Formats: sequence, C-alpha cells, structure tokens
Amino acid sequence: MTSIDAAAAVDEQAPPAIQPWWSRLMRDPIALFATAVLLAIIICAIAAPLISPHDPFATSRAVMKPPIWNAGGSWDHILGTDGQGRDMLSRLFYGTRLTLIIGVVSVGLGGTFGSFIGLLAAFYPKLEPWVMRLVDVMLSFPAILLGLALVAVLGSGVTPVVIALAIASIPDTARIARSIAVSVMKQEFIEAGRAVGLSDIALFTRYLLRNCISSIMIFMSLRFGQIILIGAALSFLGLGARPPTAELGMMASQGRDFLLFAPHIAVIPSVMIFIIVLATNVLGDALRDVLDPRLRS
Amino acid sequence: MKKILMTTAALALVSAPALAAGEITVVRAIDANNYDPHKSTAQANAEIMFMLGDTLVSLAPDMKTIESGIAKEWEVSDDGLTYTFRLHDNVQFCDGKKLTADDVVYSIERWIDPETNSPVAWRAGEVESVTAIDPFTVEYKLKSPFSELLYQLAQSFGTIIDKDTVEALGPDFGVAGFNGTGPFCWVEWTPRDKMIMDKHEAYTWGAPFHKNTGPASLDRITWQIVPEENTRTVAVMTGQSEVSPYIPVIALKQLESAPGVEVVRSDLAPYTYYIGFKIDKETVSDPVVRRAINLAVDQEAMAEDLFFGEVEPAYSYVTQDALDWNHDLDDTLLKYDPEAAKKMLDEAGWVPGDDGVRAKGGVRLSPLIYTFAESTYGKQVEAVQSYLREIGIDLQIESFDATVVWGKLATQEFDMYTMGYPYVSSGDALNLYFRSENIPTPNRMNWNDEKTDELLDAGAAATDDAERAKNYGEVLKMVHDAAAWLPLYHDPMVIVQSTDLETITPHNLYGAGLYKGLDLKFKE
Repeated sequence: MTSIDAAAAVDEQAPPAIQPWWSRLMRDPIALFATAVLLAIIICAIAAPLISPHDPFATSRAVMKPPIWNAGGSWDHILGTDGQGRDMLSRLFYGTRLTLIIGVVSVGLGGTFGSFIGLLAAFYPKLEPWVMRLVDVMLSFPAILLGLALVAVLGSGVTPVVIALAIASIPDTARIARSIAVSVMKQEFIEAGRAVGLSDIALFTRYLLRNCISSIMIFMSLRFGQIILIGAALSFLGLGARPPTAELGMMASQGRDFLLFAPHIAVIPSVMIFIIVLATNVLGDALRDVLDPRLRS
Repeated sequence: MKKILMTTAALALVSAPALAAGEITVVRAIDANNYDPHKSTAQANAEIMFMLGDTLVSLAPDMKTIESGIAKEWEVSDDGLTYTFRLHDNVQFCDGKKLTADDVVYSIERWIDPETNSPVAWRAGEVESVTAIDPFTVEYKLKSPFSELLYQLAQSFGTIIDKDTVEALGPDFGVAGFNGTGPFCWVEWTPRDKMIMDKHEAYTWGAPFHKNTGPASLDRITWQIVPEENTRTVAVMTGQSEVSPYIPVIALKQLESAPGVEVVRSDLAPYTYYIGFKIDKETVSDPVVRRAINLAVDQEAMAEDLFFGEVEPAYSYVTQDALDWNHDLDDTLLKYDPEAAKKMLDEAGWVPGDDGVRAKGGVRLSPLIYTFAESTYGKQVEAVQSYLREIGIDLQIESFDATVVWGKLATQEFDMYTMGYPYVSSGDALNLYFRSENIPTPNRMNWNDEKTDELLDAGAAATDDAERAKNYGEVLKMVHDAAAWLPLYHDPMVIVQSTDLETITPHNLYGAGLYKGLDLKFKE
C-alpha cells in the first residue's frame, strides 16, 4: 500500500517524458517545409492505387516516351514511360510506396530490437559486456556488406533486404539507446523507484523507457534516411525487389541502360530517393535541435 | 612563325591518340575465367584464342566455307572416319619453336582427355586415335562419322597449344601465359581488367579469305573490360576505343550518324536468344502450356521496342537460314496470338483463379525462371513476364550474377531459364542441347528421348548432306512440336569501329566478331 503511494510520489518527481515539442518544431521554416514534403510523399505513396493514371506493371509499345516538359511528351504519360513502355508516374508512386515500406519496416524492426537490448544492457550492468561486444561485432560489418551476404544466403527479394536492413539498424540503435539509458539510470528517480521496491518491469517501462524513447525516436528518424539509401542501393544491385515490382532503387538501375538517350528513366526515381533522404535528414536534424535536452538550454 | 609551330605542336599533342600508331583498344563487357582453350566455354575466351592461336582449319566470314588453318589441305576417307591433315611446314609458336604434327596430336589428346575434364570434349567427335604420320601429317580417326568435325575443329577449342608451355605453367596455363601460333602473342593479362597482345612477326600462314595473310598490320591490341554499357558507348564515341563488338543496341542508331564512327554488321552468323522449359516440371510439363506461352509472346514487338529493330524476331530454334533447317516447319511456327493461347488453356482445363492466375488440379501456373542479372536478359524476361500476365500466367523471375548463374542453371530448381547461344548449324545446336547425356547442362530442359538421341547420332554420322539434313530435320520437328523452347530473337553480330580503321568484315564464330584480327588495319 505504502509502496504504491510512494511510487506515485516518485512518478510526479520524474520529468514529463514527452514535451510539447511540435509547436517549436513548426516554428523552424526548413523543418516545416521538410515535413510538408515528406507528408505529401507519404500521402502519394499510400494513395498510389487511387492516383496512379496507369497500371504500373502493364507494358506497352510506347517505350522510352519523354516526360511532359521535353519535346514529344504528352499528358497521357506525364513523366514519360520506361524501357518496357510502363508509365513512369504510376511506377514512381508504387516505387516510393515500396521503398518507404522497406525503410519503415526495417528501421521499425531493427530499431525496436536494438533499443531494447541497448536499454537492457544499461538496466542490467551484468549483461552489458556481453550485449555490447556482440553489438560491436555487428557494427564492424558495413550494412551494405551485411545485405549482400544475407541476400546471397536467402536469395534476392524484398524480405531478405528488409531482414538485412533491420539487422543493420540494430547495432547503432543499441549503442545509442544504451548511452542514453546509462545517463538516465544515474538519475535520482531511478534510485527512488528502486528504494520504494518497484519491480524491474515497472522501473524499466515507466522510468527508463519513457525517458529514453524520444531521443531514440530522433535517432531512428535520422537512421531512416540512411536505411532507405542502403535499401535502394541493394535493389540497384539487383538484390532487392523482383520485377515487375516497382522500387526506386531498381527503377534507377533499370534506367541506367538508357542514361544516354532517355535519362528521365533513371533520373526521376533517383531524384525521388534524393528528396526522401534529404527531407528525412533535415527533419531528423530539426527534431534533434528541438528535443535534445543539451541543445535546448 | 615560332608561334605557329608551337600551336601545331600543341595540336599534335592534343589530337594524338593515347596509343601509338598501330595500337588499338577493344572494349568488351566481360572477361573469361581463363585463357585455356579446353577449360572455358566463355565467348570472351574464344575471342582471345582465335588471335593468340590457330586451329587446324578456319571458317570464312560467310560462316559456311572451311578454309586452311594450320593444315594447308586435308582429305576425308569415303566412310567419313579418317581425316588426314597436311600441315603448313613453316608454322611457328610465339617463342620461335616450330610447330609439328606432335603439337597437333598433343592438343587434340589434351582436349578429349578425361583428366582435362573439358566441358567441350564432345565437340571433337568420338575420337578413335590421332596420330602423327610424319612431322607434317596428322591422321584423325573417328569411331563413327561426325559430319560437323571440320566446323568443330575450326572453333577456338581446337586451338593448337604448346606442350612445353602447358607443362611448365601447370594450372597457370592460360592465366599467367600462353604460347600459340596465332597472329598475336600474349603479353599480359590482368583478370577483369585487360588483356594485352602484340603482333606475331613471323606469322605468314593466314587463311586465304583474309586480305592480309600475315603478319598482322596492328602492333598491339588491348582488350579492355568495361562492364557498364554506356561507358563502352562513350569510349567508342570519344575515340578511347577503336573497336567494340559490345555496344548496346540502343546506341546504334545514334552511332550510325555520329562522326568518326562506323557500324558494321553481319547476319550470317547465328546467335539466338531463347527461353527453355524444364519439360518435367509440373507448371510447364503440359505441352499445351508451353505452346500457349509461345503464342502469348509478341517477338516482333519485342525486337522493335526493346531492341530497336536491330535484332530479328525468332520463331524457330535456329535461324531459318541455318544449315539443315527443316523448311517443312516454316508454316507451323508459333506466332503471336494471345486469344488462341487463352482458348487453348481454357480447353485444356487451365482456368483462371480469383487472382487471375490459371490453375489446374492444384497446380498454379506461376513458373519460376532463372536468368542473368544483366540488362539484355533482364529486358527479355520482364517483357515475357508482362505478356504472360495477359494470358493468366504469373512468371516469377529470379536473377543471378554471372559468377553464380551457371551453377544455378545446372540445378533442377527452376521451371524456365534464359539463354543466348552461338552455333554454326542446326546439328551444332541440336547436339548441344537435346542429347540426353547432356542433362542437366546444357540440356537444362531434361529432354530425355531415345528417338532424339538416335536421330542425332544418325545425323552426326551421316556422310551425305541430304541424309544429315533429314535426320536433323526430324529432330527439329520433334522439338518444335513439343514447344521445348520459346525462341525470342536472332542477334546479328554488330561491331562499332572507328573510321580511322579499314572497314571490318564481321566474323561470328562462337560470337568472336574480330576472329583472327589479321584484317584490322588503320587507313593509309
């Protein structure tokens, strides 16, 4: 009985975990712009089946048609067609969708697992050497190499790429989560929580996790851009999505053959990758500026 | 005056090619695994072998006439079992050693020796014995007649090599060095980068179809590997390379009108791209399905749209001009008719499911195709995938890098596969692909039929042309009736060359467009 009351009292002492940060974020015009761009892209990706003017997989005899702003372009194919006569705009929507899904799922999976083991390592110092050495070993493999190795074992396809990217996101997030958690663990409210006899689970979820989550989220959002880039690179190398699926990296790779004569086939998906990665990185930076307690003061 | 001189000097410096006169750079896409004539089936190997070495007989650019090589003349016995080759007496290796009949015997014996484990040993025929009658006469005895023998001996696999060099270099033969009797000599090979070869000064025994029978007019040829096709195009356009047989079709139209560049082609040498069916896999074991797939694909549109009309749509497994093609089949070839394909599948009980993919008795029509992770094959397979979608077949594509694809293609994992292959005649093609002893590779279809084997044996053993054509013609009919393949297109040999060079007459034996390189010459 007393312990619960005491826990409630400790709870009030702990700093509020989530700050009203978005209003400050929106005061930054660059962040605002990046958010708007990213939102627009996400909406297009989600609505791909509704807004695509053509079937993205249907080939036609109108191959390598230029985009609307070039001579010979037509409103029927606003961004032109690719080497198989498929509509570039529709493929761009579908490709962005798949690229974003690959990024979100792999960062989500890898990030969640990575932060969990990072927090565990900080929470149970006895576990730390084991967990962190394992993470160090994983960190010594560049993500792209890991991806290549995994795809060689599992065969090409979206799933192996997602697994590779998820594994590649584990060590970074684990280290970040641990370093954040170690400083949180030194706070008085953790000691107070222990003193009043809170269970490990309660202490872990209510005190440690809540105080670390925002910083981890920022890191993951920064990581998202890189992961998308690596995912696209793997697809570019022909290890990711299988035809006829549209994926931005794969589209860029297929467009490579036409680079001298129909550059739009490679340039359009590449520009899209560029915009997505730039927008997420800008947004991640802005988020860090707003949320990082050290930068806040 | 001084100023003018300086300007001229500067101009000369700028315009001087990176290479000294008499040297050219040939850019190509991939390297061979080695340069041993018996241990590689790579086209890249053949390209080099023809220049570094010589074969007993050679093939004229018409791709039909056999002319002299190391042998100046030969006789074939009436039963077709004994070939007697009389050799030129002035042939010598790059190291100055004279070539004798013993070298020929050694080379052929190494080719067919089970210990060499050559993937192309069958091409030498069923050899009874090869003996040196005197220093310049070789007797080549067969167990059974082989009407293709002279064509096969003209292939790069029949290159005559030097025993001492093979023994001295051991496993490094064809990697660290080579000693041949060709118009060029090995200088240096950096794998996956470049192969350098210099003129063989003593060479005088070129076949009479060459304008120049030797020595070569070029001093040095550098074969440079450039994997990226746009880079190859640019290399030829900017004069960094004088010759390339590996220019993507997309660039040819532009290059034809570009200054300083000339495009030459030859349709004589057949090189056919096809998709093969593993006929014992449940998705494609039904001949109706295979025929429907043949009807669903519009080869003409593919040739026009994907390959810019530079290739010829194929409906037959060898070109209809090929030696021993069965003209009775001309009107029965399967051409684009998707409605007929759908009707055929409906009637056979392959009906579309909820997702539009046809199925019958629990077998879903979604065959798996293995292909090369490379743009030419990629384009073909994606186009075929799209055509098959129209008739309710869901083709699954899996592509592999050039280093692993050959191993994958030797397995039983897939239902269909893509391939392109050079050949000299119907018999050459059929013997390669449809013999039961060639399962699992190159007979990746698992085409296991006694009748076929018998007919192929009879065709190979035939001593007169009509007999041979009749037997091979029957096999052609069987495999076309069974729709064992989906032919895609016949690829001509196209060489893009600098106008500084005399116009090249493209050859195409085993895809080697430059053949011996004797006629490569800068304009006077």
